[in-house]
Amino acid sequence: MDKEQKTPQIIEFDIRGQLCPATLLIALKELNRCKEQLHNGEIQLVFKTDNRDATITIPDAAENMGYGVEVRRVDNYYLLVVEQGHS
Amino acid sequence: MTVTAYAVIVPASLLLGVVAGFIMHRAGFCMAGAFRDFFLFRQAFMLRQLLLLVVVSMILFEAARLMGFLPLYPFPLLGPPTLASLVGGALFGVGMVLAGGCVVGTLYKLGAGSVLSGVALAGLLFGSVLYGEIHPWWGAFARATIMGKGSLTLPDALGADPLLPITLAVVVVGVLLYRWLRQGKLQRHSPVRGYLQPWLAALLLALTGLCSYLLVGMPLGITTAYAKLGASIEQFVAPRHFAGLVFFKGLPLDYRYPLTQERLVGGPGPAFDGVAAIQYPLLLGLVLGGLVSAVLVREFRFYYRVPVCQYGSAFAGGLIMGLASRMTPGCNIWHIFGGLPILAIQSILFVMGLLPGAWLGGKLLTRLIIRN
Repeated sequence: MDKEQKTPQIIEFDIRGQLCPATLLIALKELNRCKEQLHNGEIQLVFKTDNRDATITIPDAAENMGYGVEVRRVDNYYLLVVEQGHS
Repeated sequence: MTVTAYAVIVPASLLLGVVAGFIMHRAGFCMAGAFRDFFLFRQAFMLRQLLLLVVVSMILFEAARLMGFLPLYPFPLLGPPTLASLVGGALFGVGMVLAGGCVVGTLYKLGAGSVLSGVALAGLLFGSVLYGEIHPWWGAFARATIMGKGSLTLPDALGADPLLPITLAVVVVGVLLYRWLRQGKLQRHSPVRGYLQPWLAALLLALTGLCSYLLVGMPLGITTAYAKLGASIEQFVAPRHFAGLVFFKGLPLDYRYPLTQERLVGGPGPAFDGVAAIQYPLLLGLVLGGLVSAVLVREFRFYYRVPVCQYGSAFAGGLIMGLASRMTPGCNIWHIFGGLPILAIQSILFVMGLLPGAWLGGKLLTRLIIRN
C-alpha cells in the first residue's frame, strides 16, 4: 500500500480539568469526524487529559475502531496519541 | 456533654474518610460514572464492581450481626419506604451525572484539584439549604406515601429472619460475579501511576463500611453535613428567614452509641451535634484522601480553563443532588454501601429511581458537551 512518508499533522485537544465524561465524548466525536484522515495517516489526534479513567476508555474505544493508541505521561497529566492503525 | 463517644467517632470518621477518598481516587471508583457509563457507553465494568461491593458488604454486615456486633440493626436514620425515595433517587441520578460526581466523588475529586468539583460542592450546599423551603409539604408527601406497614427492610416486610433473604441475594449475585471473574470482566489494565484494581477497591470499601458500622454505629453517610454547612451559612446571611425554617430544627438522629451507651442526637441545624461529629470529619477525610493520593502520584493540579457551560452543569448538578439527597432522604453512598446490603426498602427504591435518573442525566450532559 502507499505508506505515507511525510510526518502526519498533529491536532491537539486540551481536555484537562473538564467534567467527566467530556474527555471520552470529545475524543469519540473527533475520531469519527477525522476518520478518513486518521486512516490515511494524514493526521494524529493528541488528547491532553488529567482524567485517569480516560486513559483506559479512550484507548479501548480507539483500538476497537482500528487505530493505534499510545498513552504517555507528561508532568502531571496524560497524553493520548491516536494515529493510523498498524495492522 | 457526650465527649467520650466523640473521642472515638471523630478520629474514626476522619480516618475512614481519608482511606475511602484515597482508595476511590486510585481506583477511579466514581459511582456517578458507573451508572452513567452503563447507559451512555454500554460499559458495565464499574457497575459490576459496585455489585461486588454490595455483596461483600452483605456478607460482612450479616456476619457481624450474627456475631452480635451490630446492636443497632437496622441502623439509625433509616426511614420507612415512601415514594419520596423513588423520586429523590431519580433526581439524584440526574444531579450526580450533571455534577460529574456523586456526593462523595465530588469530595475526593475536589481533593485531587478539580475546580469543577468545588463548584458542584457549592451547588450541593445550596440545594441542601433549598430543601428547607419545601420541607413542610415534601415531608407531608413522604408521610402520605409510606408503603405497606412501613417495614424498614425487605426481610422485615416478609416477616423473615435476615439470614435467609440475604443468603439468597448473595448466592444469586455471587453466581453472576463468579462468571464475570472467570471471563476476566472484573479486572482491567491501566497505564496510570498507582492504579488500584477496582475489585480490590470494592473489597476495601466494603471493609470501610463495616468499620463505620462498628465504630460509629451506622454505615458511611455524608449529606446531612451538607445541609448543616449550608445552614450555617444561611443562618449568617439571612438569620430572620432561617429562624422560621422548621426543617433545620429537626433532630432525626437519636440513638444510643453502642460503644459507650451514650445518647447521641443530631440534625441538619448548624449546631455541633452528633451528626456534625460523625459527618464533618468524614467529609474532611474524603477531601484529604483524594488530595494525598493525587499528590503522591504527582497528579495534583488546578485546572480552571474549561467551557463555562460545564461550570453551570456542575453547579446545577450539585444543587439537584443536594436537594434530592434531602428529599430521599440519604445519598448513594448511604443507600448503596449501607442500605442495600441489609435490603433496606428505602435504599432499593432509591436505586430504582437512580437508574432512569442517571440515564436522563447522561443524555443532558452529552448534549451540553458535544454542542459546545
